Amino acid sequence: MSESLGLLGLEQAERDSCVACGLCLPHCPTYRVTGADTHSPRGRIALMQVVDEGIAPLTEEIVEAFDSCIQCRACETACPGDVPFGHLMESTKEVVESTRGRAPWWLKLGLRALTRPTLLRIGSSCLAVAQRLRLVPSRRLGLPDRLPLRRRALRATGDDVWLFTGCVMDAWQRDIHLATQEVVEATGTTVRPTGDAAPCCGALHTHAGLGDGARKLAARVMSALDGDNAVLVNSAGCGAALKDYGRLLGSDEARAFSARVFDIHEWLADHIDEMDANPLEPAIAVRVAIQDPCHLRHVQGSHMAVREVLEPFVSEIVELDDEGMCCGAGGAFSLVNPQLALDVRDRKTEAISRSRADVVVSANPGCSMHLAAAGVTVRHPMELIAEALRAR
Amino acid sequence: MKLRRRTRADGAGQRHDPCVAELIRALGADRVRADNAARHLASADASMFIDGAAGPVCFPDSTEHVQAIMGVAARHDRAVLPRGAGTGLSGGAAPLGDPIVVSTTRMNRVLEVDVEDRVAWVQPGVVNLDLTKQVASSGLHFAPDPSSQQVCTIGGNVANNSGGPHCLAYGVTSAHVLAVEVVLSSGEAVVLGGLEAEPSGYDLRGAFVGSEGMFGVTTKIAVRLTPDPESVKTLLLAFDAVSDAAATVGAVIASGSVPAAIEMMDKRCVAAVEDFAHAGYPRDAAAVLLIEVDGPRRGVEAETDKVAEIGRAHGGTVRVAADEQERALLWKGRKSAFGAVARVAPDYYLHDTVVPRSKLVEVLEAVYEIVDRYDLTAVNVFHAGDGNLHPLMAYDSREPGVNERVAAAGREILEVSLAVGGVLSGEHGIGVEKRDFMEYQFTSADLEQQALLRRSFDPHCRLNPGKVLPSAHSCADIASLSAFKADGVWG
Repeated sequence: MSESLGLLGLEQAERDSCVACGLCLPHCPTYRVTGADTHSPRGRIALMQVVDEGIAPLTEEIVEAFDSCIQCRACETACPGDVPFGHLMESTKEVVESTRGRAPWWLKLGLRALTRPTLLRIGSSCLAVAQRLRLVPSRRLGLPDRLPLRRRALRATGDDVWLFTGCVMDAWQRDIHLATQEVVEATGTTVRPTGDAAPCCGALHTHAGLGDGARKLAARVMSALDGDNAVLVNSAGCGAALKDYGRLLGSDEARAFSARVFDIHEWLADHIDEMDANPLEPAIAVRVAIQDPCHLRHVQGSHMAVREVLEPFVSEIVELDDEGMCCGAGGAFSLVNPQLALDVRDRKTEAISRSRADVVVSANPGCSMHLAAAGVTVRHPMELIAEALRAR
Repeated sequence: MKLRRRTRADGAGQRHDPCVAELIRALGADRVRADNAARHLASADASMFIDGAAGPVCFPDSTEHVQAIMGVAARHDRAVLPRGAGTGLSGGAAPLGDPIVVSTTRMNRVLEVDVEDRVAWVQPGVVNLDLTKQVASSGLHFAPDPSSQQVCTIGGNVANNSGGPHCLAYGVTSAHVLAVEVVLSSGEAVVLGGLEAEPSGYDLRGAFVGSEGMFGVTTKIAVRLTPDPESVKTLLLAFDAVSDAAATVGAVIASGSVPAAIEMMDKRCVAAVEDFAHAGYPRDAAAVLLIEVDGPRRGVEAETDKVAEIGRAHGGTVRVAADEQERALLWKGRKSAFGAVARVAPDYYLHDTVVPRSKLVEVLEAVYEIVDRYDLTAVNVFHAGDGNLHPLMAYDSREPGVNERVAAAGREILEVSLAVGGVLSGEHGIGVEKRDFMEYQFTSADLEQQALLRRSFDPHCRLNPGKVLPSAHSCADIASLSAFKADGVWG
């Protein structure tokens, strides 16, 4: 296949599979807020084509067109031709990063910190103290209002399944892991949290075009989570990344690993019958709006399971009317492209207020922090389910 | 006319275009893009036609902005090209003559909705389906529904007088536009038409709708909103022969029924669509018809039975969508058909002709014969109810000589359609695609009158020059307008 690779390392068949019909445009958050073809999936692919073929030089504006992509992959869901946009963009970003070094120094530093859990926890506790001393403009930085000062410990109860705990989520949202473990155990399944042995899935590295870093992390996660047990993931972004190791590393071992990765909702939907809960018990009286993280809806396609598992525990579920449009968080996107991220988020918060929901659930830490910074009350579905179980 | 072909060049740097500074002064830097990336992407629509390159791309958000652009264009004697979502299929938004591109994508507000009078004022960049979604809670919708309705703009619908499956019963865009505010090439903003039932004077609105961006830039549109039908039924009919499907179409119409939509897809189209939509289309059928009837509940039930009976009498099997979900899925498949062709080949030429319904079978057979003869892949999906054919040729533009074969096959399909009493275009417009075929259908005197009409709106032929009218009849040749670089963006 190597003869078919152009300057961006794209496979010709994939690159040219777009017929430019434009059906992706309304589903692209950055096209929606800018109206610019350079900020659309069709436009980005057309630019990849001319650069890959050596027709056009890699100009600043073309790099900007690629950098402005949130990689939400809503265009893939919309595409009747199955163009593998996410893969094309990841390959493109990797080449652009290696030739241009686009990722800012602070992002690379931050990404390195993600792979050092102790450092990350100390850093985040320092940040929590600074927050309480009002030294940090949390909202402007998109941070949660009150980072935890200390975290309750996660303890293994057995070896039935792994619970992937990840990096930022473990440092900042440990309570969600505890709730998740509680819910999984309610089905009679024992849980081993992955903890520091598998510190980071590498998703953010992939999105930033840091392919080598991502592949190293993937290998580390796989060797730490040896065996045949299911790996449950409660972060949509991490789940999508772990499920993509097969393609990222291209080995049988990686494909086998990816096959035992499950989004927590997907897994729970299959095990909810094993839960010792009386369906006649009252559900929590809240009107819940579901915000589908893009990497759950457009990449993993597991978003319906969220509704299925939540439905018995809450009084009302409402759908947002924006057909799963991205919230603008995009992993580190909101840090690198703050204005665009805010413009995209405005559309989401408008959809949320139209829904008149009491609470929004989101199964991805990036989305929930990005929305919380806009003043939206966001919970993880597992937190609501754990709460409902405790009330019974 | 040239077909899209990627050519290698050394990658020229940015050029200096003297009108850019003035555009930036008039609109602000964030509303003007003069870089090669933006110009490259504004150089094509969703068709295969490309013949020039775009000049600077502007993103106005008001009538005043568009007037300012027109002023700059006049001072620099530049052409102006309005552009919506760029989903056109006739090269109407493919630039000729290095034009200043007026992108309407930021003019995307619904300005006013009058539920009682069923009228909405919208900006031209409002996406067709977005308007329908916004008024859905009032039980209304915007009736023209091109297959691209989820992305195409209402300004583009006005420019092309767009149709769509449901235009069989509801009429094309022109029947749903009450008034348009237009910026003429002089920079003057005028309102054509009006909200009153019978506006006095000549119907200039009627002349404007379908003028393909050559009469003026639309800046506001008053559209008619249509009440949702009380009841809707969608039938999927499958046939072993294309001719049986075509005969069914004729028989349904002859029976006095006017379904809301009658769509046909052939076997190859069904396969591509089913791979994407998983709507349960039968892959083994030679052709399927998607027929929708709507109206008062009782009438719909009776008509559904009648259509089903006619279908069975012609050897078809009939499935009626049980619920809204099944119905939506069937339509999702139909409306994704063009994009789904990406599964067949990386390029397509989507044709658009209209033939008398009685000639459907004859013309379809000829289409398959022609496309086979040129060694191309034919996929057929079209508005059967009004005889609006969309033969689609799937191909790979990298194959040497294929573009010439596609063009020749396209011409033959057109000749066959015209020979049986058809017309050049149903709904995609003439653009550059059919421009040089206009003489097949119109006499020299006809074309001269059309050119006169155009000149009465735009005496300098500044707006979207080089489209629709063959060169002998277009007024000022585009060569007389300034252009900095006639070739592609990157040489």
